Amino acid sequence: MTSLKDLQARFQAGIVGGDDAVLSDINDSSREDRRVLFGVYRNAYVIRLAEILGHDYELTHTYLGDTAFSDLAHAYIAAHPSDKRNARWFGRYLPDFARSTAPFSEHKEIGELAGLEKALADAFDGPDARPVTMEELAAIAPEDWPNLVFIPHPTAVRTRFKTNAADIWMALSDGAAPPGPVLLPEPQTILVWRQDLTARFRPLAPEEAMMWAEAAKGVRFGILCEMVATFGGEDGAELRAATYLKTWLDTGLLACVSPDCAQSDLVMGTAH
Amino acid sequence: MDFAVTDHRPPYLGFGLGLRPQHYEDILSGNPDIDWFEVISENYMVPGGKPLRILDRICERYPIVMHGVSLSIASTAPLDMDYLTELKRLADRVDPKWISDHLCWTGVHGVNLHDLLPVPYTAEALDHVIERVRRVQDFLGRRLTLENVSSYVTFAESEMSEWDFVSEVAERADCWLLFDVNNVYVSSYNHGFSVSEFLHGVPRHRVVQFHLAGHSHEGEHIVDTHDHPVCGEVWDFYRETVSHFGPVSTMIERDDNIPPLAELVAELDVARRIAREVKSGRTMAAAG
Repeated sequence: MTSLKDLQARFQAGIVGGDDAVLSDINDSSREDRRVLFGVYRNAYVIRLAEILGHDYELTHTYLGDTAFSDLAHAYIAAHPSDKRNARWFGRYLPDFARSTAPFSEHKEIGELAGLEKALADAFDGPDARPVTMEELAAIAPEDWPNLVFIPHPTAVRTRFKTNAADIWMALSDGAAPPGPVLLPEPQTILVWRQDLTARFRPLAPEEAMMWAEAAKGVRFGILCEMVATFGGEDGAELRAATYLKTWLDTGLLACVSPDCAQSDLVMGTAH
Repeated sequence: MDFAVTDHRPPYLGFGLGLRPQHYEDILSGNPDIDWFEVISENYMVPGGKPLRILDRICERYPIVMHGVSLSIASTAPLDMDYLTELKRLADRVDPKWISDHLCWTGVHGVNLHDLLPVPYTAEALDHVIERVRRVQDFLGRRLTLENVSSYVTFAESEMSEWDFVSEVAERADCWLLFDVNNVYVSSYNHGFSVSEFLHGVPRHRVVQFHLAGHSHEGEHIVDTHDHPVCGEVWDFYRETVSHFGPVSTMIERDDNIPPLAELVAELDVARRIAREVKSGRTMAAAG
């Protein structure tokens, strides 16, 4: 197997690293030099991967423009050769790469915008779960409510933005000119999930963000109401908690609402 | 392994298209004249959501064939068991008429280049591919269907023709073949062989599917881009191919510059017409 193994190693090094050793393994055709023919594979490699990134990060591409996005894509391709069979996952490190690699890291909204696109894509084809409905909640006996625990839909993820990347996303998504990048006075919590077949996101106000984070850890509804009272004041605390809960149910955010949702599911829920 | 369940030749499906997201709505809301769909396996090897929901609905209405792009059967890297497990899971959901991929490799050393890379036609590569096809078939519990790829280079160490290599793989690994009409044309131009020689060099009883596609002519070589309609030369070769093989499930691949569905259905009608003309020509010849 040495021969085939070595040949494939040289061929790959020729594509990824520009190594010319493989040219000695290749014939000229009757019309074309071997360097030109091998160049078809070399050129296609970077073009194809850049196209995958452009597709997966369409709005980041629009925001940066062709030249800057091409710089980002080429730097990423060089740093992260694809290690998965499915091209769907090739670009999964791009947001972290943009956050940590100059000059992109100097503009924090770039990594956050890419992160939002990735989170939406992950929600789009993430795991299925049947959402709990308001009718199902209404059927639960009132005395059980304080003991209710909640499991988020498996696609639901929270992220914290230091910039107005969410506003930039919304403008670009509408085909409008994006606002200039700004650092927010306080980090903003963004919740991303899939409702039926549509990936969505919305910013959470601090109180709802707190309640969602605690609910996702498995904290029971009675305690959640006390936490809301402590966080935002006792007046109307239960009503505020119930309103958040209704919103979650109306938008397909919960996969289980019960005094005894399975512990194994709660482990999944704590990640959200 | 004895493939008792799928021992027989896969059914003739007629004329199909590659399923692309741009056409989901037209397919589900209309009743396009398409006999079957080929799906890119990797596009549906995801946890859930819309792609799989749509695929389930298409499966209820049309026969489906799964076509992969990253099996990397000729790679010297170990078989990717995670990939194969996911592929099998999708096959259990879809119940495809057959599962195909390419006679090529896509990377080594833990890297995937997302391209269909050429194989040297040597006895060593032959033994390697055959052994891997057998293992994959054992794992999947069904025969694979392997497609000849377009290639842009030939290797100094090759010891046989592409069609001899393809034929040996099919016979010794006991798998089916997907005869890509456009790929034979592209490679014949790039490497200067005769399409007819390839056509007549492949075992007829192994071929269960045809691919048709467009390409980009760069003057001194042709690149298999799937972004144009099928060209006249490839239609001529398709006519010769149908004459030689008889009725074989045929589909058109379009992966870039994807036109409205109606345009592809019209292109598929050209394939139907050619197959009809070949058939009636044969009937007339038999009657005469």
